Amino acid sequence: MLDSLRKNAPVWLSLLAGAVLWEIAGRNSNPAFLVPLSETLVRLWQLMGSPQFATQALDSATLFVTGVGLGIVVGMPLGLLLARVRIIRVGIDPYIMTLYATPMVALIPFILSLMGFGFAPKVLVVFLFSVFPVLYNTVEGARSIKPELIEVARSYRSSERALWREVMIPYTLPYTMTGVRQAIARGLVGMVAAEFFLSATGLGQLIMNASQNFDTSGVFAMILLIGVIGVALMRLGLYIEQRFARWRI
Amino acid sequence: MADITTPLARAPVRLGGLVSTETQARIVCGLVILLAWELIVRAFAPAYVAKPTGVVMAIPKVITDPAFLEATGVTLWACAQGLAISIVLGTVIGLAMGRSELVDRSLRHYINGFNAVPMIIVLPLVSLWFGYTSGARLATIVFAAIFSIIINTADGARSVPREYLEVARSFRSHRMRMLIDIVMPSSLPYFLAGLRLAAGRALIGAVVAEFFTAIGGVGYFILYNSRIFKHNEAFVGVLLLAAFGVGFEVLVGWSTLRFLPWYRRDEKTS
Repeated sequence: MLDSLRKNAPVWLSLLAGAVLWEIAGRNSNPAFLVPLSETLVRLWQLMGSPQFATQALDSATLFVTGVGLGIVVGMPLGLLLARVRIIRVGIDPYIMTLYATPMVALIPFILSLMGFGFAPKVLVVFLFSVFPVLYNTVEGARSIKPELIEVARSYRSSERALWREVMIPYTLPYTMTGVRQAIARGLVGMVAAEFFLSATGLGQLIMNASQNFDTSGVFAMILLIGVIGVALMRLGLYIEQRFARWRI
Repeated sequence: MADITTPLARAPVRLGGLVSTETQARIVCGLVILLAWELIVRAFAPAYVAKPTGVVMAIPKVITDPAFLEATGVTLWACAQGLAISIVLGTVIGLAMGRSELVDRSLRHYINGFNAVPMIIVLPLVSLWFGYTSGARLATIVFAAIFSIIINTADGARSVPREYLEVARSFRSHRMRMLIDIVMPSSLPYFLAGLRLAAGRALIGAVVAEFFTAIGGVGYFILYNSRIFKHNEAFVGVLLLAAFGVGFEVLVGWSTLRFLPWYRRDEKTS
């Protein structure tokens, strides 16, 4: 107990020092630029207590879950299918890699002028942000299935269905989960981007409102909140990934 | 790109044939994708929507347009400046974190935390701080790029083989000399991997900052042209961004092979 306290002391001290530094800097600078931590927390409390906060947060959560969920539901089976048919996989691999590396933000203006301001275009943005990590990692995983595994299954006359259920899916799942972790992180970026650049709703709208009203403490409060959500989601993603990583051969 | 599903025993015999079928498959898939895009847009979408033939036709006009060239220059220059700042600050902080337990423990949570925050979220803040100016873009780029450089440099500095440092110490090497002659060269590959990530993120940072603040650059070029329904022209901007992303990847990969030939990790991963 004492040992772990001593080991973690620098961490707590550094967090404390950061908080104190923020507070002092905030008190000694123009409130339009930097507000102290205490004020930020008070503002955050106010914002979270306001009646519109719950609906806005729910809005964002719906967008995030729908988009990332679709990304996983589409990305994984498509990845397996592409991987199973070797010639398609070889052919399509470079394009998936290119799309995986393409900054999807650049496509937002097109989506805006094509689909307007509704819920669907925003889901599309989150989907585009999250589908390629899942797809890419699933294909990577399926590519690394040892050929012996499939050959053995074949020589025992496994049906295609059994091959999928017993070999393909269990083998690629850990890889897919790496993709899911990346999809969660990217989906959050997609969510905020959609809320900033398409129509302002959800948490993105709360930030935009604060920024447009020069409510610096509101901006800080929302950044703190979304930062915490980001860190929490990253933890969740790592947990999911590590849970499945144990299977990895 | 090693293909693991090809049994090794068979590979040498079929290698010549395989390479060409793979290339063929890639070309055919590419054509199918382009054709599907073209046909779907022609059949279902309004005339202004970008389609491959339209984009190709737009390329000569766009890349000779002085406004586009200026926008490209502005964005790239901002990225270069942002990367330079990130490299200098990021290397210093990263090396300090990698070599000093105390610095590492005190900064690690902040660095990892900031790295997990979607960088797009700082846009309202930097626009409050810097106004709708190129300073806001530069700040966004630095915020987008610096953390991957710090994290990777710290990883590299942490993984310096202990023996090297022990030998240097027993020859009574100066701390600074050890840092420059041992720690920095041996963490260089990690740094390059971080730089590779950072460059992509810097480009994205520049684009989102231009979307948000409407200051001139490639991002604004895309935004403006798609608003006035010139999707083909706007898409040329997207292609340019993708080309720069890929180009930088290739450049870093090539210089790793060329200047750090002892470093072979890349062969496995790429």
